[in-house]
Amino acid sequence: MLDILPQLLVNGIITGTLLAIPAIGFTAIFAVLRFPNFAVASHATIGAFAGYAANVWLGLPAELSLVAAFLVAGLVGVVSDEIALRPLRPYGALTTAIASIALTIVLENVVRLIFGNGLRGYDLPLVRDWRVWDIRIGPQQIENFALALILMAVVFAALRFSRIGKAMRAVADNPALAELKGIDPVRIGRLTAFFGMGLVGAGGMLLGLGTSIDPLTGFRFILPIFAAAVVGGLGSIPGAALGAMVVGLGEEVALLVLSPAYKSAVGFMAIVLVLTFRPRGLLGERAY
Amino acid sequence: MSLFEARDVVAGYSPTDMILKGVTVTAAVGEIVAIIGPNGAGKSTLLKSAAGQVHVAKGDISIDGRKITGLRPRDVAAAGVAYVPQEQNVFTTMTVRENLEIGGYVDAAGSRDRIDAALRRFPVLGEKARDAARTLSGGQRQLLAMAIAMMVAPRVLLLDEPSAGLSPVAARDMFATIREIADGGVAVVLVEQNALDALDLADRAYILAAGQNHTEGTGADLAADPDIRRTFLGGRQTGDQR
Repeated sequence: MLDILPQLLVNGIITGTLLAIPAIGFTAIFAVLRFPNFAVASHATIGAFAGYAANVWLGLPAELSLVAAFLVAGLVGVVSDEIALRPLRPYGALTTAIASIALTIVLENVVRLIFGNGLRGYDLPLVRDWRVWDIRIGPQQIENFALALILMAVVFAALRFSRIGKAMRAVADNPALAELKGIDPVRIGRLTAFFGMGLVGAGGMLLGLGTSIDPLTGFRFILPIFAAAVVGGLGSIPGAALGAMVVGLGEEVALLVLSPAYKSAVGFMAIVLVLTFRPRGLLGERAY
Repeated sequence: MSLFEARDVVAGYSPTDMILKGVTVTAAVGEIVAIIGPNGAGKSTLLKSAAGQVHVAKGDISIDGRKITGLRPRDVAAAGVAYVPQEQNVFTTMTVRENLEIGGYVDAAGSRDRIDAALRRFPVLGEKARDAARTLSGGQRQLLAMAIAMMVAPRVLLLDEPSAGLSPVAARDMFATIREIADGGVAVVLVEQNALDALDLADRAYILAAGQNHTEGTGADLAADPDIRRTFLGGRQTGDQR
C-alpha cells in the first residue's frame, strides 16, 4: 500500500498549492473585514465559469482566462459585498457570516441561470501524463501548480512592499489606529473584497482546470478552504498557505486508510484537531 | 494665540452618557499642557473627542482657528493633529520601519526622510527596524508610538498616558523627548496619571473633575497649591514620586 505514497504526496502538494489561493483570499477578507465570508463558495464558482467563458467562448488560453476569472470574481465580490454584506457589518460577524451564506446561494443560482446545471470542461490540449519513476503527473497539473505559485508570490510581494498592501495589513492589525493614521478603512475594505474574491475566483478556476466544473464547484471546496484558513490561523496569510498544504496533503495521504468518499472528513478533522490543541492556528500570530 | 482650542466641549459615548460636560482646554505653539484629574474625570475622553473618535455633542474643537469638531479621525489627522492612544498604539504584526511608514501614510514622500531621522534619533528603534513591533518592550513601544505620530510633522500632539508602564528612567527619557518635540514648535496636550511628574514637565495644566474644568494654572503653581495637592495629588510634595 505504501508504494502509492509518493504519488499521493505529489498529488497532495499540488492540491495544497491550488487550495492555498482561495484560502488566502478567504483569510485576507477575514483579517480586514473581520467576518468569515462563506460567499467564497459562489465566487470560486463564478471564477471557474468566468474562466470557462474566456477559454471556451472567447478562445483565450488558460493563463489569460485565469486573469478573467480573477477580475470577474473580484468585481462580483466588491459589488455584492457593497450591496449585501457591508450594511450588515455593524450588526456583528455572525450576522454578516450568515448573510454571506444567503449571498452564496443567490450567486450560485445566478450562475445556474446563465450556464445551466450541466458539467463543463475547459478547452485544454490533450497531452499524455509524464511518468517519473512510478509517479504520474500531467503537464497541465504542473502548469496549474506554477500559476498558483506565481500568484502566491505576487500576493506576498504586494503585501510586503506595496503601499496598499501595507495599508491592508495595518487595517487588519489595528483598524482604529490605521484610521488615526489617515487610512480609509472603507476603501481598504473594498480593495480587500476585490483582491480577496479575485483570488478565490482564480483559485476556483485552478481547482476546476484539473476536472470539470458545474455550479456546485465552489461549494465542494468550501470545507477545505475554510479548514486551510482555520488550520493556518484565521487572518494569517502565510498560515492559509501552510494550512492549505496540511489539508491538501492530509486529504491525499488519508486515502491510504480511508475510502475516497471520506476524503472531505479530513478538513473537519483538521479543524477539530487545531481548535483543540492550538486554537489560534499554526501561524495565528502572524498577520501576513 | 492658542493653536489648539477645545471650548465648552460636551461629549460622550451615548446621548444619555455625556462624560465631558463643558470642558475648555487650550494649547499654544511650543507649549506642553497637562490634563490631570481623578479616574473618570474625562481626561482620555477629551483627547479622543479631539481625535474624532468620540462624538462631540456641543462645543467646538479647533486648530489654528479651523474647526475640526465632527471630522473623521483620518481627517483630523490630515488637519495636523496626531493622537497617541494609551494602549494598542503600534501595529504589532508589522516591523518597526513599516510602523513608521504607516505613520507617514498621508505624506509618503515627506515621511521618507523623517523615518531615517527617527531611526537615527532613537537608536533602539534603529536597531530593531526590521523586527516586528510585538517584540519591543513597553518603553520601546511607547517610543515607537510617539515616533509614528511624528511622521506627519503634526502641529498638535495629543498623548494619552505616555509614561504608563514605563520604569522611572524610561519615563524620564520619555518626558525629555516630549519637551524636545514641543520645543520644535508643536503644541502638546498630554493626559497623565503620574500627576506630579506631569506638572513638573508641563508649562500649564488643567485639572478636570467629573467632566468639568476644576482648576487651571502653571504646572509649578498647581503643584505648590496645598488644596490641589491634598485633593488631586495625594498630599505629597512635588518630586516625592521620584
